Amino acid sequence: MHPRRHAGLISVLAGLTLWELASRVLIDNTLFLAAPSQIARAIIGLARSGELWRHVWVSGREFAIGYVVASVLGILLGLALAGNEVRRAALQPWVSGFYATPTIALAPLFILWTGIGIWSKILVVVSLVIFPVAINTEAGLRTTSARLVEMLRSFGATRRQIFLKLSLPSAIPFILAGLKLGIGRGLIGVVVGELFGARAGLGQLITQSAEAFDMPDLFAGVVVLAAAGIGLTACFSWIERRAVPWTQD
Amino acid sequence: MPKLQTVGLGKRFGDLDVLRGIDVTVPDGAFVAIVGPSGCGKTSFLRIVAGLEPQSAGQVLIDGVKVVGPGADRGFVFQNDNLLPWRTVLANAMIGPEIGGRADAAARARTAALLRLVGLAGFENYYPRQLSGGMRQRVNLARALAIDPRILLMDEPFSALDAQTREIMQTELLRIWEQGRKTALFVTHQIDEAVYLADQVLVFARRPGRIREIVPINLPRPRPLSIKRTPQFVALVDHIWGAIEEDVRASVFNAET
Ligand SMILES: Nc1ncnc2c1ncn2[C@@H]1O[C@H](COP(=O)(O)OP(=O)(O)O)[C@@H](O)[C@H]1O
Ligand SMILES: [Mg+2]
Repeated sequence: MHPRRHAGLISVLAGLTLWELASRVLIDNTLFLAAPSQIARAIIGLARSGELWRHVWVSGREFAIGYVVASVLGILLGLALAGNEVRRAALQPWVSGFYATPTIALAPLFILWTGIGIWSKILVVVSLVIFPVAINTEAGLRTTSARLVEMLRSFGATRRQIFLKLSLPSAIPFILAGLKLGIGRGLIGVVVGELFGARAGLGQLITQSAEAFDMPDLFAGVVVLAAAGIGLTACFSWIERRAVPWTQD
Repeated sequence: MPKLQTVGLGKRFGDLDVLRGIDVTVPDGAFVAIVGPSGCGKTSFLRIVAGLEPQSAGQVLIDGVKVVGPGADRGFVFQNDNLLPWRTVLANAMIGPEIGGRADAAARARTAALLRLVGLAGFENYYPRQLSGGMRQRVNLARALAIDPRILLMDEPFSALDAQTREIMQTELLRIWEQGRKTALFVTHQIDEAVYLADQVLVFARRPGRIREIVPINLPRPRPLSIKRTPQFVALVDHIWGAIEEDVRASVFNAET
């Protein structure tokens, strides 16, 4: 019925089976690799002891605050870039520069500035998420169709009306794409921020498990992060289908 | 007083002389078609009348008043439907009243009635991507009519449609036009379309764009499609074709329009 969906499911199941077999037969050493079954058990164990939720809560808060702040600031920055030629010329090199820079490398600096608490992680997330959002917002606003502008002008639309009735709605698919891109980058920011020093969080769980050679717990952290990324991205795709259905076909 | 008058209208784009010395007088309620080879400035002429493009010389008068920009007295029907994909049919047709700050219940009711007039009853809540090309052009037309303009400006609105749909749309346009008898300027490159619709055909020449001939069309109204096969109709089409043939050939062979 759904050959494509089946192919995906079969491929994932086959991959997991191979992984399970490989880690039991080929590399039967939990110092190097954990089997899916062991990881599942580790996740359940961490969940039962409540430790998992502590890490998820800490990382989730860092991500959520950083992501929301970066989204709002990124959209505002994109609007500022698009609104005025001189402003764009002045801001563009900074935005493009920061976007291309692996700002993740600044994580240790943020920790020096703000300590190992939540603020350093929020800063890392913001620095990673804000620029793709700003760049996409600006690109979306700039691609306003000239034909549609002319249509609105023929009805006597003001610049403000053209912005509100045309530029903004036609930029929304781009803005959503930027926000979607930001999910993966934001999660990276959380993990890397925590790698450089944290008291709790999924990144800290991973680091701490690596130091203890506890592969199942390490992979448990990775799997939970992956699930969060997949889940959030799927949520976004759902929102996109609802909010901007005209871009779907 | 004529509804629309252009006096010595001229347009240059840099070194390109697009329109020169266009003198047109359109009486109230007349349907005027404009034909001419591609690149002769038909769209530019219409955009100047719409106030979307400033002229380089001369002026446009509507009821004797100089045109200085776009206004609700003129409704523009575009070649591409230019519908907003995120708006429903009704919301698209309401854009004019909305921009004019008159999007009240009465305007909605009037716009809904216009959608019925153009044959879109029941499609108010559809999105443009759910409509055929012909239906989208009907929305395009209803949108222009929704501001109740005194003059309807149409730039090859049926050029993207297939031949059958196009003929249906021609009869529909006449049916709708007969209801309000608004002054209409209709640009087309199909001579038979111009003759079928219009009271008067302005034949444009190119390089620079100017009026070669004004052909009155004295066919009775209402006009059934079968009128296209009458000798009188065919003679008018032949005559106009004779007037522009040379120009069209030139425009075909000088590919850089
Ligand atoms: N905005 C513009 N800038 C420069 N040249 C233009 C512009 N608009 C139209 N032209 C030129 O003016 C000429 C007439 O164009 P147009 O009015 O579109 O002709 P038509 O609608 O009869 O095909 C063409 O040569 C076209 O390239
Ligand atoms: Mg044209």
